[in-house]
Amino acid sequence: MTNSFKHRALGLLAALAIAPASQAWEGKTFKVCADPNNLPYSNQKGEGFENKIAELLADELDLELEYTWFPQRMGFIRNTLKAEVEEGKGKGYKCDVIIGLPTGAEQAATTQPYYRSTYALVIAKKRGWDDIESPEDLDKLSDKQKAKLKMAMFDGSPATTWLLNHKLLDGSIPFQSMDADATISTAERVEQALKSGKLDMAIVWGPIAGYLETHNKGAFEVIPMHSEQGVKFEFPMSMGVRIPDKERKEELNKLIEDNQRKINKILGKYKVPLVDADGKLIDD
Amino acid sequence: MIKPVKSWLLASSVAAMLAAPGMSQANAEVAALTQDNSSWATWGKDYAGTRYSPLTQINKDTAKNLQPKWTFSTGMLRGHEGGPLVVNGLIYIHTGFPHKVYALNQDTQSVVWEYNYAPDAGTDPQQVIGVMCCDVVNRGLAYGDGKVFLAQGDATLVALDAKTGKVVWKAKNGDTKQGMTNTNAPLVVKDKVFVGISGGEYGVRGFIAAYNIKNGSPAWKAYSTGPDAEMKINPEKTMTWTDGKMAPVGKDSSLKTWQGDQWKIGGGTTWGWYSYDPQLNLMYYGSGNPSTWNPVQRPGDNKWSMTIWARDVDTGEAKWVYQMTPHDEWDFDGINEMTLVDLPMKDANGNEHSKLLTHFDRNGFGYTLDRATGELLVAEKFDKAVNWASHVDMKSGRPQVQTQYSTQAGGEDHNSKGICPSAMGSKNEPPVTFSPKSKLIYIPGNHTCMDYEPFAVEYTAGQPYVGATLSIYPAKADVQTGQPTPDRLNMGSFTAWDPTTGKIAWAIDEPFSLWSGMVSTAGDIVIYGTLEGYLKIRDANNGAELYKFKTPSGVIGNVSTWEHKGKQYIGVLSGIGGWAGVGMAAGLEGESEGLGAVGAYKSLGAHTKLGGVFTVFALP
Repeated sequence: MTNSFKHRALGLLAALAIAPASQAWEGKTFKVCADPNNLPYSNQKGEGFENKIAELLADELDLELEYTWFPQRMGFIRNTLKAEVEEGKGKGYKCDVIIGLPTGAEQAATTQPYYRSTYALVIAKKRGWDDIESPEDLDKLSDKQKAKLKMAMFDGSPATTWLLNHKLLDGSIPFQSMDADATISTAERVEQALKSGKLDMAIVWGPIAGYLETHNKGAFEVIPMHSEQGVKFEFPMSMGVRIPDKERKEELNKLIEDNQRKINKILGKYKVPLVDADGKLIDD
Repeated sequence: MIKPVKSWLLASSVAAMLAAPGMSQANAEVAALTQDNSSWATWGKDYAGTRYSPLTQINKDTAKNLQPKWTFSTGMLRGHEGGPLVVNGLIYIHTGFPHKVYALNQDTQSVVWEYNYAPDAGTDPQQVIGVMCCDVVNRGLAYGDGKVFLAQGDATLVALDAKTGKVVWKAKNGDTKQGMTNTNAPLVVKDKVFVGISGGEYGVRGFIAAYNIKNGSPAWKAYSTGPDAEMKINPEKTMTWTDGKMAPVGKDSSLKTWQGDQWKIGGGTTWGWYSYDPQLNLMYYGSGNPSTWNPVQRPGDNKWSMTIWARDVDTGEAKWVYQMTPHDEWDFDGINEMTLVDLPMKDANGNEHSKLLTHFDRNGFGYTLDRATGELLVAEKFDKAVNWASHVDMKSGRPQVQTQYSTQAGGEDHNSKGICPSAMGSKNEPPVTFSPKSKLIYIPGNHTCMDYEPFAVEYTAGQPYVGATLSIYPAKADVQTGQPTPDRLNMGSFTAWDPTTGKIAWAIDEPFSLWSGMVSTAGDIVIYGTLEGYLKIRDANNGAELYKFKTPSGVIGNVSTWEHKGKQYIGVLSGIGGWAGVGMAAGLEGESEGLGAVGAYKSLGAHTKLGGVFTVFALP
């Protein structure tokens, strides 16, 4: 499950030649745990934005980037950040950093946020719903039209509460938020359902909306959602370290601060809808 | 015993016996083994799941002399649930996923054969581990027709030749890529073997499935939620407790209680234990919590999650159902075992019943039902710390939810504090034992409460959302009275219960939750394991501790006892893990203030470490 990602031969040489960039990193590697197949976040080919951000940070630290791959769902932190390389042998942990965790996630210590995004309504064009310009337009549909909506209902998602509040749940098509099949990502699953006509629309987390947009140019309308009573759509995102690793967390905080512009540029390429600390959409 | 069996039931069971003499060979063999004290052939010792042995050599007077006789390492570190089977002189033990099964010779204490799990083409064991929620445990083996059955973590039912360990057949019971896994112990009845499904966290729609014991071909399958036909519910004939009496469930009883198509990912998984009444020809089991976990998002009763089921073993048709926790808001997974008890009792109207079903649910209520008819006879708290409901209304059969402990009524800005029990339940999966001698049921109790914090941010497959965090801590209330006991930090209880009255006979504090299936015997003792790793023996009449021995790891497995060459043995698997191993340690850390009398228990890690070991005890 572990492999080394030598994105620059020079980086490795530099890391061997000079002392570690900081005391926070014991070895010569920047050890990241990530999902092997979860675009737009990460994959084993290094194509996700979390891959790019990991490369950026490893570069800044002059360390070699090393991944341990594990599907990022139930049991992820237990099997990665908190798992020893070899149990009981004192050889360290499978990784030291997770690039994408919501700020305040409980099982790890999270850094300051490096981006904030929101859920978005994604509508397949030319299926008869091209007049929908805002989430509120769905409220205005007649009961007959609502009955025809092929809308995704993701188990546990805030979007489901929103659909319930807006009386749109009855005809929705249930999906499991946490799919057990690690060979297909949530974004790919939604993409397939939208393309095949199984779905006409879905409310998904911003980066997934960004993925649908960049992979299917012009095929989908992306409309950001906004929070309402009892439904929260905007979340800040952080990096995660083991809870006692305060020094490492501080180092990452500084790295994020120093590299925020570069990080934003990466997120921009992936069309991640960004919001400010008040939840207001940041227009680019 | 007093009341005559209803004529239609008698007719159907006689007909079943006459219909196919060949069919019941396996059943006759297993039925005989369950009566043979040199065997322990099902998870529950007998089809009723009493886990009672008539053996008397180890008894309340001799137990103090007990000694560990031999041990055997399973070579595996993760949690070891389930217990040893003993059939025709051989002992069968097993481990969690990726499984090993060992057949052991008692005389030489050596391995006769071993089975090492090998994935089928297309199955990635790492992927399977990734979808097993709470460690990689498995609750046990089954025996029948010369085969040992294991419901593997990868949702494959495998039949092994009991003499050689060779794979006789395999049956695919579910798709792990859809989150389906198996953790339950199968049950062999007649010519079939029964298996359920795990994976509620992935929205798996629960079912119970029967396979033909000869070749593994599917016989029938019945879901917990959805259309009547798929649940094998007969709207006119399947009965449920309605307004103080039994009445047909009616058409679409499940569909009507879910919003839209949510039943398709509705949970109600079946990862517990199954019992069987040969006279009534019915099997019994519980279905688990509804999915999604967020109760706000699934309005309605969410039938038939959290339900006790009685099904005809030949056809799968549901004879009756009883939903314990409609619209669950606390994760009170209803899968705990059904223990079938023959005791005379009168219900509130003075009617007599003798064929009883008892069940101790995570929700903290102990239930007694007439297992032939499904009538509700008793629903009382077996831990008086329980507060989420004041009582069960006996007419409607519904728990009376206390708004202050409703996680849904609390809403998003409310931290519901002091909900009892915690999501781990007043009792979790380890089975109880019933002694026909003392007429009491002995319950491995879990005496904890929780705070339910809705604001925590959770993350699933790349999507953040507002979820809930549970902090779990000692109940600090008396099991028998519910009165606050701030100084008592026990998280477990050994409780004796009268199933005909619904009263706690007596209860004894245990420092940690009990996560080991119990055994009672005609020697007036009760035997069980503890999370710290002790095998303990108590007096069945008053709970006095007669013996304890610390095994190499925490015990979350089930005790068995049997006779071999004139000597009585006790066997148990150690091997901490599961939800208990992870969860209890965390719960105690949260309780770092004022440890007081139990100050030593900072965490379970101070008491025990990982590692699977089978230990056999006997008198000198």
